[in-house]
Amino acid sequence: MSWETVIGLEIHVQLSTNSKLFSGGSTGFGAEPNTHVDLIDMGLPGVLPVANREAFYKAIRFGLATNAEINQTSSFDRKNYFYPDLPKGYQITQMAMPIVGKGFIKIDVDGSEKIINITRAHLEEDAGKSIHDLFDGETGVDLNRAGTPLLEIVSEPEISNAKEAVAYFKAVRQLVTFLDICDGNMAQGSMRCDVNVSIKKQEDEKLGTRAEIKNINSFKFIERAINFEIERQIRIIESGESVVQETRLYDSVKNETRSMRSKEEANDYRYFPCPDLLPVVISDNEFNDIKNNLPELPDEKEKRYISEANLEEAEAKIISSSKTMANMFEDACSKTDDSKLVANWLVGDVSALLNKDNIDIEESKLSSNNFATLIERISDKTISGKIAKSVLEEVWESGHDVDNIIKDKGLVQIQDESVLEEIAQKIINDNPSQVGAYKGGKDKLFGFFVGQVMKETQGKANPKSVNDILKNLLDS
Amino acid sequence: MDKKTVTTIAYLSRIALDEDNEDKITTDLENIIKFVDQLDNANVDGVEPLTNPLEKKAQTREDKVTAENRKEIFLDRSPKSNEDYFLVPRVVE
Amino acid sequence: MSIQYKSIKDLNNMLLNKEISYKELISETFALIESKKNLNAFITLNKDAAIEKAVLLDRKKNKSILAGIPIAQKDLFCTKDLRTTCGSNMLSTFIPPYSATVISNLENAGCISVGKTNMDEFAMGSSNETSFYGNVENPWGTNLVPGGSSGGSASAVASGIVPAATGTDTGGSIRQPASLCGITGLKPTYGRISRWGMIAFASSLDQAGPMARTAEDCGILLNEMCSHDIKDTTSLNEHIPDFTENINQPIKGMKIGIVKEFDLSKLDNEVVKVFEESKKYYESLGAEFIEISLPNISLSVPTYYVVAPAECSSNLSRFDGVKFGKRCENPKNLEDLYIRTRSEGFGDEVKRRILIGSYVLSAGFYDAYYKKAQQVRRLIKNDFDEAFLKVDVLMSPTTRGAAFEAGSKGSDPIQMYLEDLFTIPANLAGLPALSIPNGFVDSKPIGLQLIGNFLEESKLLQFAHSFQQITDFHLKTPSGENI
Repeated sequence: MSWETVIGLEIHVQLSTNSKLFSGGSTGFGAEPNTHVDLIDMGLPGVLPVANREAFYKAIRFGLATNAEINQTSSFDRKNYFYPDLPKGYQITQMAMPIVGKGFIKIDVDGSEKIINITRAHLEEDAGKSIHDLFDGETGVDLNRAGTPLLEIVSEPEISNAKEAVAYFKAVRQLVTFLDICDGNMAQGSMRCDVNVSIKKQEDEKLGTRAEIKNINSFKFIERAINFEIERQIRIIESGESVVQETRLYDSVKNETRSMRSKEEANDYRYFPCPDLLPVVISDNEFNDIKNNLPELPDEKEKRYISEANLEEAEAKIISSSKTMANMFEDACSKTDDSKLVANWLVGDVSALLNKDNIDIEESKLSSNNFATLIERISDKTISGKIAKSVLEEVWESGHDVDNIIKDKGLVQIQDESVLEEIAQKIINDNPSQVGAYKGGKDKLFGFFVGQVMKETQGKANPKSVNDILKNLLDS
Repeated sequence: MDKKTVTTIAYLSRIALDEDNEDKITTDLENIIKFVDQLDNANVDGVEPLTNPLEKKAQTREDKVTAENRKEIFLDRSPKSNEDYFLVPRVVE
Repeated sequence: MSIQYKSIKDLNNMLLNKEISYKELISETFALIESKKNLNAFITLNKDAAIEKAVLLDRKKNKSILAGIPIAQKDLFCTKDLRTTCGSNMLSTFIPPYSATVISNLENAGCISVGKTNMDEFAMGSSNETSFYGNVENPWGTNLVPGGSSGGSASAVASGIVPAATGTDTGGSIRQPASLCGITGLKPTYGRISRWGMIAFASSLDQAGPMARTAEDCGILLNEMCSHDIKDTTSLNEHIPDFTENINQPIKGMKIGIVKEFDLSKLDNEVVKVFEESKKYYESLGAEFIEISLPNISLSVPTYYVVAPAECSSNLSRFDGVKFGKRCENPKNLEDLYIRTRSEGFGDEVKRRILIGSYVLSAGFYDAYYKKAQQVRRLIKNDFDEAFLKVDVLMSPTTRGAAFEAGSKGSDPIQMYLEDLFTIPANLAGLPALSIPNGFVDSKPIGLQLIGNFLEESKLLQFAHSFQQITDFHLKTPSGENI
C-alpha cells in the first residue's frame, strides 16, 4: 500500500508596521501586558476601525514578489467567534476580496527546485494572547498583540512531504524578510503556520480527509508534526477507521498531535462584509511606487554580488540567502574596497561560529555595525587578521563594541617601523645561535624570529612589516 | 424551525435557552423568518449587494503609533483583572 | 420666567438679554427634570458638571447660539467618565474612557449635557418598552408610549424640560418618537454625523440626529453635530453648509412626491385626514404634488429585519463579560461566563434580534437571506435615486397612528416591527428624513415625514420650516398652553 501525502500550509506573517492594522496602537514586541492597547484594540462600544495603508503596501510587495494577481480594490469581512483574546467577538479579515490572489514561489529541496502555487494572501488582524499557566484556575488576557496586522498566505495543497513543507516555509520566510515586510523572528511569533495534512492511496484521485495542525512556529516542529500526523493517519486508515476532519495541536514535548477540544457548531463563522469598512482602493500611483521600490530579492543580490563584488557563486549564494547576512555584507563593503575580504570573513569565520553555536545570524550578538567596524579596522590595518579573529570571538560572546575591545585590550597593531625594527634587532641580538644557524642555511628558522617578534609584541605587530624588517636585518 | 437549529444558533450567539423561553423564542424566530421570507419574491438577478450606502472608497491611516497607554483605566474598569491582565476562568485548549 | 417649552432660539435670547443667567437656566432645568421624574426620561444625570460649566459661562463673553443651552444626550453616546448604559443591564456599570465625537462637537459649541436619556435597549424597539431602566412615559398621556428607541429624548423635549436632545435613528428611532411626542426630529444623510463613540446597533443604518421643538432648532444643532471625522471611515467628507441658511426660502414651485405604494387606505381615517390637510397646507405654499412609484418599497421592512439583526448580532458580540460591562457571578468556566453574562445582560428583544442575525448569517442561509436582503436594499436605493430626478422631497405620514398604550402591542414582535413601515426605507438608502408635528388624532400628536435626496438636509429643513410658519402644531404642548 503506497500512501501519498497531501499538505497545504497557511502561514501567518506578522507585518512589520509600526502600528496596528486598524488602530494607532503600537506593534512593538515584549512590552508590559496591556500597554499597547488602543481604544479600538479593546473593542470598546462605539469604536471604529481605520485601515493602515502601510499594511496594504507590504502585502502588495509580497504579491509582486510571488507573481501574484493583486487586487487594488479589496474589502474586509467579519469572522465571528468567541474567545477571550478576541475583543470584539469577531476578527476582521478578508474573505471575499483579498488583496493578493494567485501566485507562486520556488522552493529548493535538497538541490532540486519545485514550484508551489499560492492560492491567496490576505490581510487580517491578530488576536491578543491568553496566558493559561500564570494564575491558579484562571486565564490572563493580554491585548497587546490584538490588532497586529497579519498577512495570511495560503498555499495550494501541493506539498508532498515534511521536507518540502519546511523548504516552503523557509522560502516564504526568506522572501518576507528580504521584502522588509516581516522580521522573520519565529521565536517571537512573527511567523506561525497551520498545516493541513491528508493522505490518500496513490491510485486514488480523491483527496483524503484532512486534519489541521494549528500554530506551529519552528521548522523542526513543522517537520515532526507532519511526520507524526502522517503516521497517525496511516494507522487509522489501515485499522479500518476514518480520519476525522478536525483541528489539532502539536505537542512538542510528547511529539504528538492532539485533537483540540471544541464543539463542531463553533465552526460556523458567519462571514459577512464588515459594514464599518468601505473597500480600500490602492491607486495606480501608489501601486507603481511600490513596484518601483521593491527591495532586492535573494536571486538579484546573488547575481549582483557575483558580477559587481567579484564573489564566487558559492559565497554569493550563502551571503544572499539571509537578509541579515546580506545587509551585513553590504554595510561592511561600504567600509572597504576589498569585498572579497568581507566575503571571506562572513563565509569563513562568522559562518563557523554560527555552526558551532547552531544558531542563525539574527540570533547572534554580532551586529551589522560591529561587523562593519571590524572589517574597517582590518582594512585600515589597526589590527591584524589574526587579532581580528580574537576580537570577533570576543564580540560573539559579549556583543561589546569592536573599538572598545581593541582599546581595552590594547590590541592596536604596531605599525611603526622604527619600533618594530628596534624589537627585531633586539631579538636578533638575543639569539645569536639561531642567527648563526639561519645564516648557515636553516631557512625554516625565519619563522622562529617572526614568532619571537610577535611574542614580544603580544601579536600586535603588523606581520608583513615584521617579515620585511626581519628579512632586511637577517639577509643583509 | 427545528430544535437543533435553534439550539445551534443559540450556542453560536452564546445565549441560553431554558424551558421558560425556548418555546417562545422558537415561535418568535419562526414567525420572523416567515415574515422575511417575503424577500423570496424579489428578482435580484445581476444586482450587486449594497453593504454600505456610501459608494466611496475607504480613507486609510498613516502608519503611526498614536495610542496612549491606558492600561490602568482599562483594567480598573473591567469586571475582573489583576495589575496586568484581564482575568477569565481557566481556558483549556 | 419659566424656561419650560422654550426653544433654543428663545433661550439664547433670554440669556443674551440677561433675563436669566446660565447657572439659573441649568438649575431650573434640573428642577424640571426632578418635577417630571414620572416620565422616566433620564437614566443618568450630569448635574455637578453641568452646573460647573454654566458657572464658567456666566463669567465669559459668549457669542455662540448654543452656549449654555441644556441638551439631553441619548444614552447610546459614550460620554467620558459618565455612565453610558444603552438602556441595558449589560452596561449598567460601564463608564466610557472617551466621548463620542458628536458629544464633543456639541459641548465644544457650548452645549451643556444635562444627562443621558432613557432608550429602548441597544436601540432595538419602537416604544421605549424594552429598556432595563423601565418604560418612558409620553408627556401627552401617562399610559402612552413615547415611541422608540429615542423615547427618553423625545419625552424630555416634548415635556419642555430641555429645548433639544440627541437621538439616533436606525429604522426610525428619531422620527417615530418625534411623531408620537409632537416634536421635530431629523435623521441626516448616512455619514453626515460621525459614528465614533455611538454604540453600534446596525453599522450601515445607524445615524445620530437632533430632536427639538422646531425645524430651525434642528438645523442649529445639526450645524454643530456634523463633522468629517477621520476616526470614522464611514463619515462623509463633503462640505457642511449652514443648514439654516436657506431655511426661510419659499418652496413655491418645488415638487413633493407621494409614494404610490404607501397604501394609505390601510390607515385610520383620522390619520389620513390629517395627512390630506398637510398636503393642502403645502399646496397653499405653492408646492406641486407628483405621484411617485417606489416599486420595491414593500420589501423594506423584511429587508431591514434581515440586515439590522445581522449587523447587530455581530456588533453585540463584544459584550462578553471579559473586559467591560457586566459579568455574571461566579462563572464556572469560560462557556458559563459567556452564556450567563449574555443571557442575564440582554433583554428579550435584543436576544431575539441577535438570534435572527446569527441565523440569517449562518452557513447555508447567507445567500438566501443576508445577501438577498442587501441586493433588495440596492433596488430600494435605486428606486429613490429615480424618484429624486423628478421631485425635491417625498412625503408620507411618519407613523401609522398616534401613540399607543404601553403593553398594547402584545408579545408579537412583528406588530412592533410594522410600526417602522414608513421610516425604514430612508435608513436603507442612507437618505436624510425628518418628522414634524402635523396634527392630532384623539388629542394625541402625529407627525409628517419628509424624505430628501442625498445631502439635502437644508432643503428638508426649508420645507419643514415653511410648514411651521403657517401652522402651530409644533407649538402645542401637553399642558395645554401654546408656546
